[in-house]
Amino acid sequence: MRPIITLTLVGLIAASLLAIVDDMTRNPIALAKAEMKRKAIEQIFPFAIDSLKQVETEKTKFYEAYDKTGTLKGIAVESATTLGYSGKIEILLGVSPAKKIFDYKVVYHLETPGLGDKIDKPRFKEQFRERALEGTTWKVKKDGGDIDELTAATISSRAVTDAVERGLRYINEQYPKHEGK
Amino acid sequence: MNEALNILTRGFVRENPVTKMLLGLCPVLAVTTSAINGLGMGLATTFVLLGSNVVISLTAKAIPDTVRIPSFVLVIATFVTIVDLLIKAYSPELNQALGIFIPLIVVNCMILGRAEAFASRSGIWYSMIDAIGMGLGFTLALLVLSAFREILGSGTIFNIPLVGEDVNTILVFALPPGAFAGLGLIIAGLNALEKKKGGK
Repeated sequence: MRPIITLTLVGLIAASLLAIVDDMTRNPIALAKAEMKRKAIEQIFPFAIDSLKQVETEKTKFYEAYDKTGTLKGIAVESATTLGYSGKIEILLGVSPAKKIFDYKVVYHLETPGLGDKIDKPRFKEQFRERALEGTTWKVKKDGGDIDELTAATISSRAVTDAVERGLRYINEQYPKHEGK
Repeated sequence: MNEALNILTRGFVRENPVTKMLLGLCPVLAVTTSAINGLGMGLATTFVLLGSNVVISLTAKAIPDTVRIPSFVLVIATFVTIVDLLIKAYSPELNQALGIFIPLIVVNCMILGRAEAFASRSGIWYSMIDAIGMGLGFTLALLVLSAFREILGSGTIFNIPLVGEDVNTILVFALPPGAFAGLGLIIAGLNALEKKKGGK
């Protein structure tokens, strides 16, 4: 009998302790997550963001960034691809209201450190700036497109190209129109 | 006091959990890609070790032998979950880097090893010192290995670049094989030093 009682007691104490800690950290964790997202969005826009508005659609989420005067300065969209060298890559793509790219940020990836993870380095990202869905062949140069692939990381480069193109399509097809404003 | 000092320092080099006992190698090999990760993992493990050693040294006598191991695992798992939640709440960057390896501290055999071999038969005071000594030894080993890998593999230390972005680094050290090679070199170096000392 004694082992059963002891183990039950240990389990009970552990469970109640965890319940308390979980309760204490639930809010800070939610805040930290929101903060991380906001930081990522701030990094992709070259201007100061005053307020953010989240717009959810069927396939993705949009974040509208407004400046102090309340004008829409940029739209960020969550996009992803499964073409990465090690599976899924998630990015946050920022475009101007005219649907030209500002920048993107890789928020999740499992690419090879030192090779594929250069997809998040400015030197690779620079070439996407000012591009729009039209007027660009969304393929890497090796496949006859416009994007310079990274040496030794063609697959990762292809994947990012795909994710960016998808993001632009999301904006074209799913982003709700704002008439008048 | 001498005894306490002895317990504290033996974890650093003489009985270092990583380089001497080769315990808990999963996190050692997996997360040591950058110095920040190594340090974070080391400190998280130290905290868990300290908590579990204290609780186990206090309760060991009350726990019957048949359920000893399950109870220890429960205690350790509780502390690991607490650390996991705290890191998620107060250091999301570290959480992103260490990810799944924090919950895996539960199965770090170094912690169960210290609980079994030391804390369950020693007083709270010595158990605490043992945890701090072993934890710091673990952290030290992780820090050395991860700094070594970060400098050679990425050309940075604590994310501060040491070389220009165009310089080619020895990539293999950032990849898994580099973890094995780096650890092997460190252990070989320590053994060579010891042999030299002993040969005198």
